[in-house]
Parts: sequence; C-alpha cells; structure tokens
Amino acid sequence: MEVVFSLASITFTKVLQLSGLVDNSNALKTKKMEDKALEVYDVIRSIRDPEKPNSLEELEVVTEKCVEVQELGEDEYLIIIKFSPTVPHCSLATLIGLCLQVKLQRCLPFKHKLEIYVSEGTHSTEEDINKQINDKERVAAAMENPNLREIVEQCVTEPDD
Amino acid sequence: MNILWIVRFVSGKSMIAIHDTQVNNKRFTAVNMASNFSGVLQLTDLDDFITPSQECVKPVKVEKKQGKSVARIQIEDDGSYVQVNQDGGKKKLEKAKISLNDCLACSGCITSAESVLITQQSHEELFKVLRNNKTSASEQKVVVISVSPQSRASLAAHYGLSSSEAGRRLTSFFKGLGVHHVFDTSFSRTFSLLESQREFVERFQRKEQDSKALPMLTSACPGWICYAEKTHGEFILPYISTIRSPQQMMGSLVKGYFAEQQGLSPQQIYHVAVMPCFDKKLEASRTDFYLNKAETREVDCVITSGEVQKMLDEENVSLNDFGPAVLDTQCTMLSSVCGDEFLSHAGSGSGGYLHHVFTYAAKQLFGEEVKELTYKTLRNKDFQEVTLERDGVVLLSFASMYGFRNIQNLVQKLKRGKSPYHFVEVMACPSGCLNGGGQVKATPGQNAKELLQTVEDLYKAERPLAPEDDTRVAELYQSWLHSVGEERAKELLHTQYHTVEKMTSGLNMKW
Amino acid sequence: MKEALSLVQRLSAHPDSRCWFVSWNPTGTLFASCGGDKAIRIWGREGDSWICKSVLHQHQRTVRKVAWSPCGNYLASASFDATTCIWKKKNDDFESLTVLEGHENEVKCVAWAPSGNLLATCSRDKSVWVWEVDEEDEYECVTVVNSHTQDVKHVVWHPTQELLASASYDNNICIYKDEDDDWECRATLQGHTSTVWSLSFDGTGQRLASCSDDRTVKIWKEYPNESGEGDLLWKCVCTLSGYHGRTVYDVAWCPLTGALATACGDDAVRVFKEDESANPDQLVFSLAAQVTKAHSQDVNCVAWNPQEPGLLASCSDNGEIALWRIQEDST
Repeated sequence: MEVVFSLASITFTKVLQLSGLVDNSNALKTKKMEDKALEVYDVIRSIRDPEKPNSLEELEVVTEKCVEVQELGEDEYLIIIKFSPTVPHCSLATLIGLCLQVKLQRCLPFKHKLEIYVSEGTHSTEEDINKQINDKERVAAAMENPNLREIVEQCVTEPDD
Repeated sequence: MNILWIVRFVSGKSMIAIHDTQVNNKRFTAVNMASNFSGVLQLTDLDDFITPSQECVKPVKVEKKQGKSVARIQIEDDGSYVQVNQDGGKKKLEKAKISLNDCLACSGCITSAESVLITQQSHEELFKVLRNNKTSASEQKVVVISVSPQSRASLAAHYGLSSSEAGRRLTSFFKGLGVHHVFDTSFSRTFSLLESQREFVERFQRKEQDSKALPMLTSACPGWICYAEKTHGEFILPYISTIRSPQQMMGSLVKGYFAEQQGLSPQQIYHVAVMPCFDKKLEASRTDFYLNKAETREVDCVITSGEVQKMLDEENVSLNDFGPAVLDTQCTMLSSVCGDEFLSHAGSGSGGYLHHVFTYAAKQLFGEEVKELTYKTLRNKDFQEVTLERDGVVLLSFASMYGFRNIQNLVQKLKRGKSPYHFVEVMACPSGCLNGGGQVKATPGQNAKELLQTVEDLYKAERPLAPEDDTRVAELYQSWLHSVGEERAKELLHTQYHTVEKMTSGLNMKW
Repeated sequence: MKEALSLVQRLSAHPDSRCWFVSWNPTGTLFASCGGDKAIRIWGREGDSWICKSVLHQHQRTVRKVAWSPCGNYLASASFDATTCIWKKKNDDFESLTVLEGHENEVKCVAWAPSGNLLATCSRDKSVWVWEVDEEDEYECVTVVNSHTQDVKHVVWHPTQELLASASYDNNICIYKDEDDDWECRATLQGHTSTVWSLSFDGTGQRLASCSDDRTVKIWKEYPNESGEGDLLWKCVCTLSGYHGRTVYDVAWCPLTGALATACGDDAVRVFKEDESANPDQLVFSLAAQVTKAHSQDVNCVAWNPQEPGLLASCSDNGEIALWRIQEDST
C-alpha cells in the first residue's frame, strides 16, 4: 500500500515537474522561433527594390511580422515570408520574390526550407506569382539569365560587399 | 515532432488547394486568348513584336542613390501616392502613366500583345466606323473591304453556297451596312504572283554570285515572317522574297491608286481586310505598312472569316437570307471577276506561289511548258516537293512546307547548308491558309477534317485565271505603276524585314 | 516496414552546385549525372565502388536531365541553354555528335523512345517536340505539340508502345499518340492541384505514376473507351498522400520489382510497394522503406538500376549522389 502511495506521489510530482518543463519549453520554443525570424529578417531587410532606390524595409515590402519560422526538425526550420509589393506590377513582384530567394539561399547560416508568398490581397495574380517564386527550377533558370542576374545582384549585394 | 509535422502538412495542403481553383480559372481565360494566333506565332511570343513606346514610363530604372534617407510611401484617399519624408514633409509622387503598349511589357497580366491586336482590329471597330459615318457629318470615311478568297470559301462552306455566290451575297451584306466598296484580294494577289515570278528568275540568274539568292522563300505568311525575324534574324531574312503579300498589295492599291482615282486622301479611307487568320492583324500593324505622311495605315483593320460570321449573327442575318446578288462596278474595280464569277489562281489554297513561280521559271529559264505539276509528299502531307528534270538532271527543285515542324526542319537544313531546294512556299498553318486560325469553325457535330475538305473543294471550284492573262492588272502596271516611277513602284510592290530583338530588359523579363 | 534502405555509397558528384538528375544506362553498368555546374558525369564500377569515369562539357547553362538511348550507345542531355545535346559513346568516353536547337527557352527533359528512332524534348516554352533520327545520325523535327498552357517539366515514353506522356506546371498530364500524319494529345489527366514534376510508367506500361508539388503521388490506369474510337481514357486509381512533407520531385517505378521510389523536397527517399491483393481499379500502396535524411537537402531524382533489383540511385541539391540497396528484413 505504502509502495503504491509513494509511487503515486512520485508520478504526481513528476507530472507536475514535466508540465512545468513543458510550459517552459514551449516558451523557449516561441522565443527561439522569434529569434530565428529576426535573423531571417535581418538578412532580407536590406534588399533593395529593383525599381526604386530604397530597401524593402523602407518601402514596407517586408516587415518583422512578415517572417514566420517553424521548427521542422533538429536544427532545421521552415521559413514563411509574406511580402507586400508596392505596386501591382507583376514582373516586379516576381523579381522581389526572386531576390528574396537568392539572398536567403546565400546568407542564411542554418538549415532551412523556404516558402515565399505575396501577402493576400495585395495582388490580382497572387497565386500565379506565388507558384512561380516557389518553383526552384524556375528560380535556378532565371538566375542563369545574365540580364536578370545582374538586376538581382544589384538588389541583393550589400553596399560594403 | 510527428504531431507538429502532420499539423503543418495539413495546413500546407489546404493552402495549395486554394491556389489551384483560382490558378486554373485564370489559365482558362489565357488559353482562350492564346489559341487564336498560328502555332508558329504562339511559340515566338507576340509581345516582342509590340514593344513599349518611346514614352514608356513604367517600369523604369531609377537612379540609385547611396543614402540613408528613409522615405515612406502612403496612399491618400483619392488614390494618389505621397512620399512622406523623415521630417514629415509630404511630396506628391507622379502617377505612372501606363499606355496600352506599356501594358504589353508586363509579363503577368492577361493583357498582352494578342489582346491588344484583337481589340484594336475587330469587327466592333468596323461597326464603330460605320456608325460614325451615319451619325456625324464630319470625319466621314470611305469604307473599303477587301475579301480574301480563302475567307469566301470558308463562309461559303458554312452557309452551303458556292464560293462566288457567297462572295456576291457578302458584298450585298456589307453594302447594306454602309460599306462603300467591296474588293477581292485575288486581284492584288495577281500582282504578288507576277512579281514573285520575276524575282525568282532574277535570283536564279545571280545564284553563282550571291550565296543567299536561293532558295527563295515566300513572304505572304506573316506568321512565318515574324518567326523568321525574331528567331533567325539576319541569317534567314536575305532568303525571303521582298514581295508584298496580297493583303498589303491591296493596301498599296487602295490607299494609293484607288485613293487617287477617287480624289481622296489615304486617311479618308477606312480599309478593312477579311482574312483567314489572326496573324494578318499583326501584319497590318507593321510600321513598314504605315504611311507616315498621310498618318494612316495601308490596311486599317483585319477581321477574320469567323468575325464576319459573328457580324452576320449580330445583325441577325444569314448569307442564305440574301437573294442572288450582282456585282456592280463599285466592286469590280479591284476584283478579279468575269461577269458575276470570281476568278482564282491555280495551285495551292495558300496563293499558288509554288505553282506559278515553277511554271514561269520552267518556261523562262529552260523553255519547258509545264501543263501539270506532280507533287511528291515527303515526311508528312504538309511537306511536298516538285521537280523539273530533263535527261535525268534536276533543273528545278521546289517545295511547299506548311506548319511549324516543317519550318523548323527547313531552317535547320538551311543553317547546315543542306537545303536542296531553289524555292519554298512557306506557310505557318498546317494545310495552309484554308485552315487558318480565323476560319469559320466547325459546328457542333460537324467533323473539322470534313469541313476543311469542303472549304478546299469550294476554293478549287473557282475558275483560275493566269496572272499574265489578266488585262486589268496589265493596265494598272502600265498606267499607274509606270507613272509613279521605279522607286515608288518598288515601294508599292515590295517591303522590308527587320531582325526583332528579344526583350532584354530584366525588369520585364519573363522567367 | 519490413524493408530497409541501406546506403551503399555517397558521392560528391557536382561540387558547389546542385545535382539535378541521375540516369542508369540500359545494362545498369554505368550511370550519368548532371547538374548546375553545366557538366555531365559518367560513373562506373571499379571493384566495389563507383567512380567518375568522365566529365562532359558542352552546355552553356545547367544540364537538367540526361537520357540513355535504348542501345546504350548514345546519351542525350537537356539544358537550360535551350539546347539538347546528343553524345555518342566512343570507348570509355563520349563525344558530342550534334546539338538540337529550336526550343525558345530552357529544355526541361529529354527522353528516348523504346524503338531508339525517336526522341522527345519539352521546355518552359510550353511545347513538346518529337525528333526522328535517321541512319546517318541526322535529327529532324517530327512534330511540335502545344497542349500545355505552361512550362512542361517532364516527358516519358511508354515502355512498349509509341505513346508519349508529358507533365506540366499547369497541373496536367498529357498523353500523345501518332495519329494520321501528326502527333496529337489524346488524353489530358487532371487531378493534381499543383505542378506535376515527374512521371514513370510501370514495367508493362499499364500504369503511370505521377508526382507533384501538391505533395502527392498519383497512379493512373488506361481504360478502354466505351465509344470505341477517339480519345484515350485514363483514370486515377490511387493517390498517395500524407507521406511526403514537401514537393515530390521525382518518382521511379522499378521494372524488375514493381517498387515505387520517390524523391522529395523534405530530404527523404521513400519506397512504396503495391498491395497485390487490392482491387485493380483502386490500388493500394504502402510505404515499404524510407530514409528521412537521405540527403542534407532536397532530393531531386531517384533511379532504379534496370538490371540489379533493389539498387537505387538518388541525387540532391547539395550536389551529392547516393546509392541505396533495399534489403528485405529477415523477420
């Protein structure tokens, strides 16, 4: 009887401890995701707009809130970015998407999978743009086009590079 | 970890499902637009032919200044854009002007070169001009319609008439709408055929000195011309005949000879051509066919056989409603007729270039009278060959190649220097002009192949007239072309080609 | 899972770039790989391991796919530079025979017909081309078909008939047949909700597997058309969903064992086996083996060795090629 009681109390305390841990680990996780999101945002904020002499951050094309990070596994993260192009001009929206893809592919230090979308309601042909930006074969082929590559490089290169 | 994975996966899937329905709907509208032009033109991307105008404002590269100025862009209630500086000062930003041509520069929108052409040159535009004639006293236009024999045959097949009868009734229909003159492009085609004959002989005679003299490739098909200009440029252009197509030959005739005859300026005439395909709309809009001084196009509007059928439907009439009609002198001036019968040309349903150039060359160069041509079908039915042999030696080797697959092989052979032909009749559409993308479509239940056969039979049923026997054409050569001098005559009968560059501006690039 | 995929060898094939595709030769003694470094590598066995036998340079941009002719003497490569190169085997090396031009932009795939006389290519220009080769190794265009409204990603020939299938960014699959003077699209298979990346016929050609950006694999089967003549009737008889975490880039049906392998953007390689007892109109496949971290990045391609059952090659965005062997567990 006593054994059962002590077993029960041990399990009970353990459960209490674990739930506390779980709460803590959840809070830790969210903080981790936020930190990662900031890391990602730091990489994309300085990308220049293909048309205007301002950065995407200045034009509010990307904001801190537009980056979402989810954990995919050990040390691997899913990054979801929703950007808002300033004008509903399709080729510019896809160009911005291309710049985001390239910069992140090059500069993010941790293992990740990337999804880039035009934020809902900002464009009439959103689905078409989203599909194109997320097709890695299209992106790879686009970057082999010298004219496009030049424009993307100009947008993506840091001033001190 | 597993639970998270499943949750994420499920939400991912639902997002994709939303993508799909809207994407597919957009795709559907794009398909409807895209299927109008010839297969050859579809592949080369029409947008490179109609480029942004000089005043293109958008998109434009702005000077990138290295600076720390942070500006925000705000949209006011009235829809204007305002730049808000760090110090709070506002500066109104100029609205970007987007002309129709600029719109073509955008890769994502449905608006494209195709849709611009289709709206600028449509039967609605014709109706507008006719309405304007009725309502406003000023700016009256003399409306002239030139009908191609292929369109006649297509409409004839649809309404169960002979080609000539369809032509006559069509004239009645147009006259009833307020059209002043209805002509037939077989007439202007006679010029194209005569000139082509002469050009070939001249090229043949200088083939030893000029490596690009032969093979001579026909120029009547705009789908082929635009593809050649865009994809093969400088390499292929020297081989192409400079003779104008029947449509543009008629443009010269109507806005030149006819205008003079009638004491009109070219702008006072609204010239419409009825053609079997949409590619002809692109041809009419070429800058080479724009009269700078008169500020008017030689052919203002091209409508297809199918669009004429739409006009008939919109007016609630059928060609069968008209009684047998008679052609008046208003319509025979620039038409190939004998009494009430329309006359045609021997050879293919795409103009008979191979036939006429072959028979003429055989006579002129080798003294051979060719009564009938024997066509040999090669790789497929759109690739045919005709040869002139004497004592086992091949004197002339001609071919007709229709459709993109055959054009591909022609060009690749030319590039490798392995083309065995002296002359090739090139058409973008499989089965030629009679099967153009603008012809009247088969009705539900009707077999498209059978319809095409009917159209071909009706076309061939018209009596052919040899170009050299056409007295009216000979008259015009003497009176009009002679009188304007050699330079001007050349302009009226010939045209030029230009290598078209692919749009290289990265900002507009399609990827 | 009764079986396991064990790693045979890992090769750093295309350094600093993506490896897009691997293809075994018909005898299973060599395989070719190609990638973002614009090169094609030929690999052969030396003792127990595989080594690079030669490197082929010709293309100006990424080489996306390579295909061996049925006789094994020719190799065709499809590149983003809009050309398709035909290589001829000369002893242990390959020499460039001819370059096929005509596509407007990137060529996404090339495939040889089982007869060896025909070649199919497809491109972002939405068209599918069929080429014919004559005795003098001269290639001529047989037809250009425009049945898709978007980028065509993959073309594959039926293993025994002269039937061609294509997969596209427009979410559809088209089946083509040579019909009275020209090739025509005889069936359009709709069902995927996003880009269809790849196709694979089973050994007999009765079923077709397709994989898509919608994270599913679908199996299609041909049914006799009631009306007798006219279009072909293909129906989806199975959809594998819930297994793949991201886009499925490639699917390969082993002609020897009937196993179905998939390459996925979640870095995993999976093998499915068919449940033999299932209704032929409603197939059932179950996951037989998987390697969740087959590569450290997206897996782009999987290819079964045509002669050695159970030997599978895969390649990845990290430039690596991995060889796997599927082993039956003794339990």
